[in-house]
Amino acid sequence: MASRSMFLRILWKLLGASRGRLTVALIALTSGAAVCSALLNVNLDADRKLTQEFRTLGANVVIAPTASGGSEAALADAAILDRIAALRVPQIVATAPYLYVAANSGSQPVILAGTWFDQVAKMNSWWKVEGGWVSSRDDHEHCLVGFTAARQLGLAPGSSVQVRSGDHNISLTVAGIVTTGGAEDNQILTNLDIAQTLAGLPGRVSLVQMSVSGPPPEIERVTRTLADNLPGLDVRPVRQIAAAEGTILGRIRGLNFWTIALILVLSMFGVLASMAALAMERRRDVGLMKALGGTVPRIMRLFLAEAGTLGALGGLLGFLVGVALARWIGERIFGVVISARLEVLPITIALTVGVALAGAFPLRLLGRVRPAEILRGE
Amino acid sequence: MAPLVQVEQLEKRFGEVRALDRVSFDVQAGEWIAIMGPSGSGKTTLINILGGLDHPSAGRVVVDGLEIGNLGERELTRYRADKIGFVFQQFHLIPYLTAVENVMLAQYFHSITDEKEAAEALCRVGLGDRLSHVPAELSGGEQQRVAIARALINQPKVILADEPTGNLDEANEAIVLKLLQELNDSGHTILVVTHSHAIGNLADRRIELEHGRLARISAPAGAPSLAKE
Repeated sequence: MASRSMFLRILWKLLGASRGRLTVALIALTSGAAVCSALLNVNLDADRKLTQEFRTLGANVVIAPTASGGSEAALADAAILDRIAALRVPQIVATAPYLYVAANSGSQPVILAGTWFDQVAKMNSWWKVEGGWVSSRDDHEHCLVGFTAARQLGLAPGSSVQVRSGDHNISLTVAGIVTTGGAEDNQILTNLDIAQTLAGLPGRVSLVQMSVSGPPPEIERVTRTLADNLPGLDVRPVRQIAAAEGTILGRIRGLNFWTIALILVLSMFGVLASMAALAMERRRDVGLMKALGGTVPRIMRLFLAEAGTLGALGGLLGFLVGVALARWIGERIFGVVISARLEVLPITIALTVGVALAGAFPLRLLGRVRPAEILRGE
Repeated sequence: MAPLVQVEQLEKRFGEVRALDRVSFDVQAGEWIAIMGPSGSGKTTLINILGGLDHPSAGRVVVDGLEIGNLGERELTRYRADKIGFVFQQFHLIPYLTAVENVMLAQYFHSITDEKEAAEALCRVGLGDRLSHVPAELSGGEQQRVAIARALINQPKVILADEPTGNLDEANEAIVLKLLQELNDSGHTILVVTHSHAIGNLADRRIELEHGRLARISAPAGAPSLAKE
């Protein structure tokens, strides 16, 4: 007990004795730890943030009737949508049913797509709409018209459009002209009820588009869960999107990993420079300690504890600075607040202590000091 | 009674240079020995070997029954902690530790620390009011007294002092010599490397070296005695 207390006493004095050099080492460690902590925070949050961002870039899972379903292959919407909701899968960000109806507007053939606009808006944030949006599922008067279809039909926001399918006719007001870059540019988009009425297919949908958050393996897991619970339906991830998301996430992780590694190595060189100077100053002390009967491991424990303490302090300070840095990065790059992740604290401290101990290599060389040479002033 | 220190045909070579050349002598427990000689005569080399800071090239050195020439680094470290108390010309205190902590450092490497005992050792050398002063706040004489307290704290078998008054003024030299005298009177075995005839005259015997060889062993009165062959 007395020895431990003396150990701590010497350690405290060592830390105070070389404040200048140790401050330089501490700054190097804190800077490295701050960047590591920020990147680790961003990295841990980036998956969540990025996958959330990805979820505004379109559906990544599609549920459709199996190919063997025949022409009556439209799905029972109430059943499937309710069953999906009952699964309570937290990764599902949006679920948009679609019913496609072959119709005519005047003499022009046109595809009318019925859907849920609130869900469509969640997963297609990049759609450009000139005019207004159809905001409610109960809106039976308005529609969106795809850019190409609007040009062909001579429609603009506020125009009236007559759509006919079989014996059914419906009159709608154009709320907005939508540009998606996809098939929707050729379609008229209405609420699902209108399409079902027009087609005479109440309670039916052609397919369901879903936006599922998470990295590719998680999307695969959700897809399997859906497939298991929706027998007779084809549940498919949109592989190009999933793969692209996976690649982006992988690259960001790789960039973070190598940046952290580089920063740690640079910090270690900073510590190494300070410790090399410190080692020169400590030669006489080590020679004396050895002359007094101090074993090399016992003396080195003091210096390594000093470096370790410095590393832990640098890690703690760096973590705090890193949290602020991560928030700044989050706001500037992702436009969101990156929250502090406590699990980053022990990782940052462990990494910084490791760097400090590696940087303390010159102090370890002091074990080779020959007391007789030092004490006679060589 | 077997001598506390036995040195037989001791040699130390640094390359081609013979720092010690077949030196032999004995020291009885409780003796005060002055090791004298001109610069480069091998005094410090001899004391370093006796203190386990250096290895002999040849010959035999036995201290308190332990043949130190055969010891490895680990055993030599233990030997220094257990049996030797060092006092150096340049005091060699740790600058960031207080006086009492410098004494406790020797305890720390020996066994366990006892601050009260360390403080008592400093009181014994007249530094009871300087316990929490760092070396920079102490005079040279006071620093050397801290070093003496540190050398004594583990009750070593032998105190080895290398020019202990070399950096001191007359007043402090007198204080340090008085302390060494008191230690010797209380039974401590002391080997002092010195150029000072005043110190040499205080010793029970003087071992004089010249060019690494034992020139003579003499009593302070000047009556020569034979070197051990």
